[in-house]
Amino acid sequence: MSKEQKEAQAVMKQHMGLKASQRLSNTIVYIILIIMSIIWLVPFVAIVLQSFRNETNAAGELVTWRVSYWLPKKWGIENYRSLFVDTSFPRWYLNTFIIALVQCVVQTIIVLCMAYTLSRFRFKSRGKLMRFMMILGLFPGMLTMLILYRVLSDLNMTGEHAVPGLILVYVASSGMGYYVSKGFFDTIPKALDEAARVDGATRFQVLYKIILPLAKPIVIYTILTAFMAPWGDFVFAAYIAHAKEAGMNVAVGLNSWLDKDHIVKYYTRFCAGGVMVAVPVSILFMCLQKYYVEGVTGGAVKG
Amino acid sequence: MASVKLTKVKKIYDNNVVAVHDFDLDIKDKEFVVFVGPSGCGKSTTLRMIAGLEEISEGTVEIDGVVVNDLQPKDRNIAMVFQNYALYPHMTVYDNIAFSLRLQKMPEDLIYEKVTNAAEVLGITEYLMRKPRALSGGQRQRVAIGRAMVRDSKVFLMDEPLSNLDAKLRNQMRAEIILLRQKLDTTFIYVTHDQTEAMTLADRIVIMKDGFIMQVGSPAECFDMPANLFVAEFIGAPKMNIVKTNLLKENGKYYVNPFGVKIEVDGEKGRELARRNVPAGEILLGVRPEHITLAPKGQGISTRLEVNEMMGSELHLHVFTEDETRLIVRVPTIGLSAEQRKGMVYGAPLNITFEGKVMHFFDPKTEKNLLCD
Repeated sequence: MSKEQKEAQAVMKQHMGLKASQRLSNTIVYIILIIMSIIWLVPFVAIVLQSFRNETNAAGELVTWRVSYWLPKKWGIENYRSLFVDTSFPRWYLNTFIIALVQCVVQTIIVLCMAYTLSRFRFKSRGKLMRFMMILGLFPGMLTMLILYRVLSDLNMTGEHAVPGLILVYVASSGMGYYVSKGFFDTIPKALDEAARVDGATRFQVLYKIILPLAKPIVIYTILTAFMAPWGDFVFAAYIAHAKEAGMNVAVGLNSWLDKDHIVKYYTRFCAGGVMVAVPVSILFMCLQKYYVEGVTGGAVKG
Repeated sequence: MASVKLTKVKKIYDNNVVAVHDFDLDIKDKEFVVFVGPSGCGKSTTLRMIAGLEEISEGTVEIDGVVVNDLQPKDRNIAMVFQNYALYPHMTVYDNIAFSLRLQKMPEDLIYEKVTNAAEVLGITEYLMRKPRALSGGQRQRVAIGRAMVRDSKVFLMDEPLSNLDAKLRNQMRAEIILLRQKLDTTFIYVTHDQTEAMTLADRIVIMKDGFIMQVGSPAECFDMPANLFVAEFIGAPKMNIVKTNLLKENGKYYVNPFGVKIEVDGEKGRELARRNVPAGEILLGVRPEHITLAPKGQGISTRLEVNEMMGSELHLHVFTEDETRLIVRVPTIGLSAEQRKGMVYGAPLNITFEGKVMHFFDPKTEKNLLCD
């Protein structure tokens, strides 16, 4: 074997060694990732499986409690039927949907208008206003709970009338979430506004016809976050609904089934309720996922 | 088509910086006026005040006799072309041009006619369905001009429309703007920092510095009779040579003696100095590079050649006098023999001279032209 051939072989061996070590590290990484995703998915899979459990025990009773095995012996949608027919779940679901929908529409409008104003208009105390809101945002929202309850109680917006109360609370603080949108709007050249204004557009037309189409990702992001926050809220909703079923949202309502007295009777329906909560959000995400990711990164990096 | 009148217009920013001082100007109907000056001279600010994009701190702006100070840009009936094109990136070229017409709620078939006509004039018909990002700089600028064109507005404002283009395209577009002006036959206000653009396009040039108007006049007036030292140096390339020297008065005749060489101020300039009875004394003498000629050996001002820039049809010679003052001389190559050209190397001695009629005289204190009112 010539010297050159030996050298070539050594290089190849080294190369193969590198390849092998890379493959090994990739394998380890993938194993870790798979384990992590399984851990993350387990609760969801468990909930979905429980929700479809449709079996009876030896005494002929429908199994509605927690059992020691995961896979249902008999599958069916009895839990879902019962959830919507025999319980207050439809009411909670409707409450949550109304709150989330109103909040979604109002917050989106307020946030976008606020972001546009702070991005484009220069007025006295604009800086002070922004600093004030930032400082206000540093306080945990929970601090206001006590006084909010008093105010809403005086307005008769607690207990069974909690829905308008909750809408009021969520909507009132909507303007605070303008940062990401403003950051995005700031990256759109002001010359476009000026060109449109010279072309004959009003300020509103500039926002509607120029800025919003260019800021589509951030609009989607705003809609999603505005819908999500009240949809999954528990603490405020529980406090203001004050254990009155008619005023509960899904999170609070479902949670009320988890105490000692109810869990035996409602466990599988609780799981079905959990699945039902996830459905609209999942659909919304799947439809808007592309824009959502773009929006989060676009706004964050450029802003 | 409209006249534009600015009376004592002032722009004071929030931090008390005054960007434009008492700007007075009467722009006639169908006139092409160019605001020119270095960066930060207030030319764009003035244009933006006319457009309504910048608040007017003091004074009034009238378009066609109507004070527009408090009118929104959309109500001023103006069209504007921006330096960075400002095309709407999410719309096609067609939609960009049609945008203002749709806001006017014009019928779609009329819009189609106007947009396609404008596109044809500007040669962008084949790009109508493209988005701006798929166009080159020159094409984008055409779209921006098209967008302004279709509006049939009273005043056409252009804010450094060519400064983002490369030199070749800029020359081409400059010629197209002259053609466009003939076609549109409307009032134009054009902002640029490029004196060549100002000279070639304008009916009247407004030269600005630090928020003040330095001179208003036709390109020829500004070139031949600059009102002050700033205008003298700003208009013309390469810039005018300025030398501190003495104005002498002997037997009713005027002389200058730059670098110890006595040159008579003859002709019209000499007569004008006498008419104004300008006293002898220290002055700033200005002579344009193209007005300096080469003199035979032993005559005129002796200099030493340092840099020889070959521009094709002419040479730009940077020469140094005996007291190390740098002067620039423009010499047409056509008048030079092969031997003369060969001799123009670093360190070569050159004699130069100029006539009285090409001289400009400035007061060293006020920097004003001694022959201007």
